[in-house]
Amino acid sequence: MSGIVDVGVRTPQKLTFAQRLYLPEILAGMRVTIGHLLRNIFAIRKLPTILYPEQKRDYSGRFRGKHILKTREDGTLKCVACYMCQQACPAECITIVAGEHPKIAYEKYPVVFDIDMLRCVFCGFCVDACPKDAIWMTRDYELAFFSRGEAVFGIDRLIEKPGIPVKDGYGYRPYYPGDGTVPPTDAAAAPVQPGDGERAKLREKGLLPVFRPSAPRIAAKI
Amino acid sequence: MSTVAAPPLSAPAERIRGLLSTTPLSDRVEVRDLDLPTLEVAPSDWPAVARFLRDDPGCRYDLFLDLAGVDNLKRKGQKTRFEAVVHLHSLPKNEHVRVKVLLPDGAPPALPTARDVWPAADWFEREAFDLCGFDFPGHPNLRRILCHDAFVGNALRKDYAPGQRWFATEEDMKMPAWSQETEARAGHFETQTLSIGPSHPATHGIVHLIARIDSERITRAETQIGYLHRCFEKMAETHTWNGVIPYTDRLNYVSAMINGVGYVRTVEKMLGVEIPERGILVRTILSEFSRIMDHCVNIGANLVDIGALTNFWYLYQPRETIYGLLEACCGARLTVSYVRVGGLAIDVPEDFVARCRALLESIPKFLSDVDRLVTNNRIVRNRLQGTGLVSKEQAVAWGLTGPMLRASGVPYDVRRARPYDFYDRFDWDVAVSTEGDNLARYLVRMEEMRQSLSIIRQAIEIFPEKGPVNSSDWHVVLPPKDAVYHDMESLIYHFKLIMEGIRVPRGERYEWIEAANGELGFYAISEGGGGPYRLKVRPPCFPMMAAFEKIIIGGTISDAIATLGTLNVIAGELDR
Repeated sequence: MSGIVDVGVRTPQKLTFAQRLYLPEILAGMRVTIGHLLRNIFAIRKLPTILYPEQKRDYSGRFRGKHILKTREDGTLKCVACYMCQQACPAECITIVAGEHPKIAYEKYPVVFDIDMLRCVFCGFCVDACPKDAIWMTRDYELAFFSRGEAVFGIDRLIEKPGIPVKDGYGYRPYYPGDGTVPPTDAAAAPVQPGDGERAKLREKGLLPVFRPSAPRIAAKI
Repeated sequence: MSTVAAPPLSAPAERIRGLLSTTPLSDRVEVRDLDLPTLEVAPSDWPAVARFLRDDPGCRYDLFLDLAGVDNLKRKGQKTRFEAVVHLHSLPKNEHVRVKVLLPDGAPPALPTARDVWPAADWFEREAFDLCGFDFPGHPNLRRILCHDAFVGNALRKDYAPGQRWFATEEDMKMPAWSQETEARAGHFETQTLSIGPSHPATHGIVHLIARIDSERITRAETQIGYLHRCFEKMAETHTWNGVIPYTDRLNYVSAMINGVGYVRTVEKMLGVEIPERGILVRTILSEFSRIMDHCVNIGANLVDIGALTNFWYLYQPRETIYGLLEACCGARLTVSYVRVGGLAIDVPEDFVARCRALLESIPKFLSDVDRLVTNNRIVRNRLQGTGLVSKEQAVAWGLTGPMLRASGVPYDVRRARPYDFYDRFDWDVAVSTEGDNLARYLVRMEEMRQSLSIIRQAIEIFPEKGPVNSSDWHVVLPPKDAVYHDMESLIYHFKLIMEGIRVPRGERYEWIEAANGELGFYAISEGGGGPYRLKVRPPCFPMMAAFEKIIIGGTISDAIATLGTLNVIAGELDR
């Protein structure tokens, strides 16, 4: 705690004669601006401006850009269509339609996983909500479209493709190497052994409920 | 009457009840004790209670803060369907009070205007008329304010279907009646009506100013707002408590962090969760940096408006670096969404303190550059000194807070008046000025930036190197990811929190903090669900914009532009 400072008293309300003459104050101002000018000329590499797009800002590893759907080692999506990200999304931009996975270990997988990039506010709530480490964000922020329909990204544009480096690198994600956070040991990256049609057998015996996709696919209005 | 002993009241509530008992109102006003002393009055008693609260020497509630219309349709155990909830502050007593005007069922909701007691009530009543459909007999200008004129219904009533769309065409947009009159009886050839905005570079946002000018002087003015209205409060009702956070970023988007902190503080108080010291300090440091950013933008843009372009870049350079710091913490520059109920989204990066220290080194240089360029420059003085005058009495009557109020000589700063977080631990000064003109506001903001730097410096000194930033209450905070992947119980907590939201106990709360441009209040009502039943924001720039049309009378248009700059009106927060 401390006191109150009256800035009106500290800065004199009346200008001195020299200050009222314009010229001395203008020269004092010129000293500041020319100082900046010279510094900018001689230290041009330190200029704060960035010559985009030739030069790009170096964002941190937490940058919240375009999403990416993580895959297991066998290339299938880690996502189990639990709808957590869809529920957590404050902009309601994620649409998931769940399908029945042929391997019983997964039970569900997303048939449709759409993110409407024009609705998305890039808050990262989906990453926080995911219990399967299936959705991350990247540092890719160059998203431009010719139509609204094009802005709805499906699995094909969100999935991490093996062997192809992620554009601009990973961004916001649940853990960061070398950041004190430990990568989970059980983030379900290992593929599950191929099933032997166990689910089909169960279905035949009537031991599985009738599968109903829970959300209709929302077509973008163009 | 009932014989059940009422629970003892807090000291302020007891005092108000004691004072009331000497007036004829005593048996008609019920004094309750919620988070604030709460008075329940009938609409017919409201003018008398209002005068009592403002004028009684034991009350002196002179600062009108907020009027929230509440629709209790889906709320249990309430006396009436509609109530108007007023929040007041007493500058001499340094206390808040809440008044609930219970609007009887069976009749259209109406209560007498309090505009003649607190002029600040003017726009707040128009807002309640617009969004909740309350009538205020005696209000001279009761028109829609946030929604457009072609809007049908009242958006914040619980029986309003939010999916409806209303389109306004040019014919629907009404100019005020007096502006038409002038055209018709233009006796003086130099009297004319000038329309500035909505999209004018000097409005820095979308604000429409209609001014009648007699040669150079403004003789009458009116501002029309609402062009950026998206009904934040209705949106909040359809989201979980955490889901509202990205929306708060878009209120005052120049200092988004502070809004989030103000909002989560409200929810945390309702829940009663404690945040670790480290988490609070991160919030404080980033809030103070946001305040510096906000003042940088305000002063920079204001000086651009009056022709001093260079300062803009000198002030935007530290802002750029602060954005870099925010981005390194949470992944976004402007819309940070960094806070969560119960803590933060993620711990700060390892180089957080080092980056803060680097900023503390660099910012004062830019401030002193601007100071040397501007403060004693005669051109700037001629534009700012003596224009946009607001006296102390006017500032209080118009409900101004923040740098506007302090520049008029009232040392009311929420961080000092009601120290939240660790503000009482820091050694800092409240910047005031008694002049009340545009120059005073500029000087107050410059000094506040220096004080903020001092606060950050002290916060970094006590900043724990390691430690949690989040509460460990898994009913509120998401469990750590590693636990979610492994442990079924953690997964269940995680699932419940995401799918249903945090269960906030039933009740209501008004929490207020010092945002960059004044007192930012959040009045939240919970019905025990996963999201707010009603969330009302007390935007600091709403009463400022209401006062704008009164401040500029008698000045020139160019003075009005300079004044609009020093108000620091952010359209996202103004229109919500």
